[in-house]
Amino acid sequence: MSPETDLLQRISYGPTPASRQRLGQIGLAAFVEEQLNPTNQDEICDQRLATFLLSIEYEHKGRKVKESRKLTLLDAPLAQLWALNQEDKPYQEKVRPAEEVAAATCLRAFHSQWQLRELMAEFWHNHFNISVNADQRIALTLPIYDREVIRKHLFGNFRQLLEGVAKSQAMLYYLDNVHSKASPANENYARELFELHTMGAKNYYNHLYNRWREVPGALTGAPIGYIDEDVYEASRAFTGWTVADGTYNEKGSNLPNTGQFLYFDAWHDNYQKRVLGVELAPNQPAMSDGLKVLDLVAYHPATAQHICHKICQRLVADNPPASLLAKAMATWTAQQQSPDQIKQVVRTILLSPEFAQSAGQKIKRPLDLVVSYLRALQADPTPNQLFFYFLGRMGQQPFQWPTPTGHPDTASHWLNTNMLLARWNVVQVLLLEDWHQLIKVDLRAQMPASLTTCRGMTDFWIDRFFGRPVAEAIRQRAMNYLAAGGSEEEPPVGGPEEIKYRLAQLVALLAMSPEYQYR
Amino acid sequence: MQRRDFVKNMGLASALLAANPLKSLALVPEPGAEIFVVLFLRGGMDGLHLVAPASDRAYTDARSADLRVSEKNALLLKNPLNGLDFYLHESAKPFKELYDSNRLALIHACGLTNGTRSHFDAMDLIERGIQQKQNIAQGWLARYLVTSQLAGQALPALGMGDGLPLSLLGSPSAISLVSAQDFALKGDPRMAGILKSWYNQDDLLDRTAQQTLKTAQLIQSKLPRHANGTVKDYQPSASYPSEWYVRGLREQLTNLARLIKMNLGVHVATVDFGGWDTHEAQAYHFPQQMMGLAKTVAAFYNDLTSYHPRLTILIMSEFGRRLKANRSGGTDHGFGNVVLAIGQKVKGGAMYGQWRGLATEQLDNGVDLAVTTDYRTVLSEIITKRLNNQQIGTIFPGFKMPAAPLGFMA
Repeated sequence: MSPETDLLQRISYGPTPASRQRLGQIGLAAFVEEQLNPTNQDEICDQRLATFLLSIEYEHKGRKVKESRKLTLLDAPLAQLWALNQEDKPYQEKVRPAEEVAAATCLRAFHSQWQLRELMAEFWHNHFNISVNADQRIALTLPIYDREVIRKHLFGNFRQLLEGVAKSQAMLYYLDNVHSKASPANENYARELFELHTMGAKNYYNHLYNRWREVPGALTGAPIGYIDEDVYEASRAFTGWTVADGTYNEKGSNLPNTGQFLYFDAWHDNYQKRVLGVELAPNQPAMSDGLKVLDLVAYHPATAQHICHKICQRLVADNPPASLLAKAMATWTAQQQSPDQIKQVVRTILLSPEFAQSAGQKIKRPLDLVVSYLRALQADPTPNQLFFYFLGRMGQQPFQWPTPTGHPDTASHWLNTNMLLARWNVVQVLLLEDWHQLIKVDLRAQMPASLTTCRGMTDFWIDRFFGRPVAEAIRQRAMNYLAAGGSEEEPPVGGPEEIKYRLAQLVALLAMSPEYQYR
Repeated sequence: MQRRDFVKNMGLASALLAANPLKSLALVPEPGAEIFVVLFLRGGMDGLHLVAPASDRAYTDARSADLRVSEKNALLLKNPLNGLDFYLHESAKPFKELYDSNRLALIHACGLTNGTRSHFDAMDLIERGIQQKQNIAQGWLARYLVTSQLAGQALPALGMGDGLPLSLLGSPSAISLVSAQDFALKGDPRMAGILKSWYNQDDLLDRTAQQTLKTAQLIQSKLPRHANGTVKDYQPSASYPSEWYVRGLREQLTNLARLIKMNLGVHVATVDFGGWDTHEAQAYHFPQQMMGLAKTVAAFYNDLTSYHPRLTILIMSEFGRRLKANRSGGTDHGFGNVVLAIGQKVKGGAMYGQWRGLATEQLDNGVDLAVTTDYRTVLSEIITKRLNNQQIGTIFPGFKMPAAPLGFMA
């Protein structure tokens, strides 16, 4: 047993020789601490991001474009991205910012030394899900959402993260608040704010109570959960929260067209409201109603429960231990005003005995499966549109999950015949169908030259993938496959091409094993 | 090892399933007889934009003309509810043709009686076949399958699409599949045998793996092929629409039709069509979606002419939408909704259910179409009459069928 690899399966996108060495040197507590405090130093990853070429191809108004371009939009200011929001711009240019973010996400998952940061970026993107297919303006502002909302706050304060999301172009378009005006308001954002972003469906009591005062605790301003009246009122609170996108403002002129968040007072429903038993006075200053609602939901105990459960579910198990959830919630609540609230919660979870005892209980999500596989192979990936498509076949096309729930985080979602078949096929395609050029790898060169026998090679790759022995039945079948009738104590038989194929197939086969589906 | 501990827990569930004493009580349907397709419109299809009493003042006052059916260009329905002038939206013309030829029945004001307006709660409850949150892991179709004695069909339950819908979760026989042709294991042909020997435990992962291998082998062996071994393209007997916005639905239905025609014993199948959550710009989105739905479903029905005596299609959504439109040209989450049943054994050309009305005092909570027919009443009628399974209390725990059926199934 190697505790390092089991830990690295869960606090990173899979172990590499380097990360195993680092964890072995400094131990879990120091390693977690290091990961919780990423610096700007990320040399290899930065270098790959700077040189990576992603193709773009289209024909527009008689002009043919077919080229490989660097990722130039990841750090682009809003003005540059918003300039793409014009009717005469080709579709492929409008979605290019989102494709660059998807490519960068895969590159970072693979190369970054700040692996825990990348796991949390995926977690929050999933929690505050948007789909780039819902509106082109989501695609073209995705670098802003990724950079200035999700990544800025991923170890930070939840209330600030929530406000960042509420004001983001991506979420304003995705959940339609952008056009919500009095009256009746558009309820889409307000409903998902309660149900998905904060308090959770578990604390929705509409089937039990029709009126706000009936909800236990509501009369003292501390209801145990929410009902539709809270959704109605909250949706009124967010009327006028929009994007300066040049839309006709129904008052005789157009909104400015900068792409920035805009509070447009003439659309706001300014009268008194009651949310979660708390009265909001009429005629409040700009945005005050919405900000107050964000306070109410962000600091509600139901939110501590809902979000901590989701983080534990991601990092630990589909049904995380109650004792761990209680610890995470205690940290969450005690630190809810701290600028590093989320970091402290993650630390509580990762250093807990429950975490230490829960290896191997989570099914790898497709990104996790593929990246951990490629990290074990030390194979340099080319995350292009085809690569995203293959992730989609397994059920996880980046930034394209259509509903605001994000991907469900339980085994029963990922384990069905279609997705399992896709997992087996994708790991093979990446390595065996090398004309796709999705990865660069030389398997033979990674093994010491002295390693020549079928047994030695099989054990080498088992160690790379698992860092520990696997069931003998797995080892034996894998070894037999490589030997192809020859002796396990001898080099593989056959011509060089045939041996190369069988070696690649052996490596893919290990990633197709039952054990490798878990982390 | 950790994984294997996890495995044991999962294995227990399937053992319980296998020991279900109800299995032996179930009636035996004729082998491969019925084909039941459940098409779920995800997002809350606006039934009041599809079928409504067009001249009701409570209706016309609540919405602008482009968010309702109007007498001007919509399609008047025979045999309406309460003798009102119910119309079908003009984008659903292929449905009107099925209605006029008595192959389509409309059951209005249907839904969950639980008051939730959450998509995900509502879908969760409907697909688990329950009324209130309960700790029930299986979907209603999975329980239907477990309580039915099937005649050894190779593919009794199909979830068309990337994953399985909740209604089929926990079914030991359900297959999720996107494309019949692509459902094949790549790589060295020896892989299948190796995987088969590795995935040998009784847990969700290993059972899924065994089924995947078995099904891929079966489908690939039965697909019609050219002399050179390549799979022949599917040639439907009806023309499916080609618009981009129905691509997903078209792929699911053409693949389903193809699998049905391969006679592998497809018995129940689920199909999903999303994009109905029209909080804004509904005047644009709804007619497009509805036209795509109606054309594709009609093509699917016509593609399967020789299966008509055995085929029933049910189209439902998690809830309807608010009567009164919002200020962004859309409608928010509502309650009661229309359900569509299609088939030769459907007593079509008529509306079913009870229509309470659209005046504020007739609405649920003063805002939404009231639910007068529990969604399970509709499903139960199909299950008991067409699928010959009487275990409604097990399939829908806590639900009792009303004494008088709606009467839309022969």
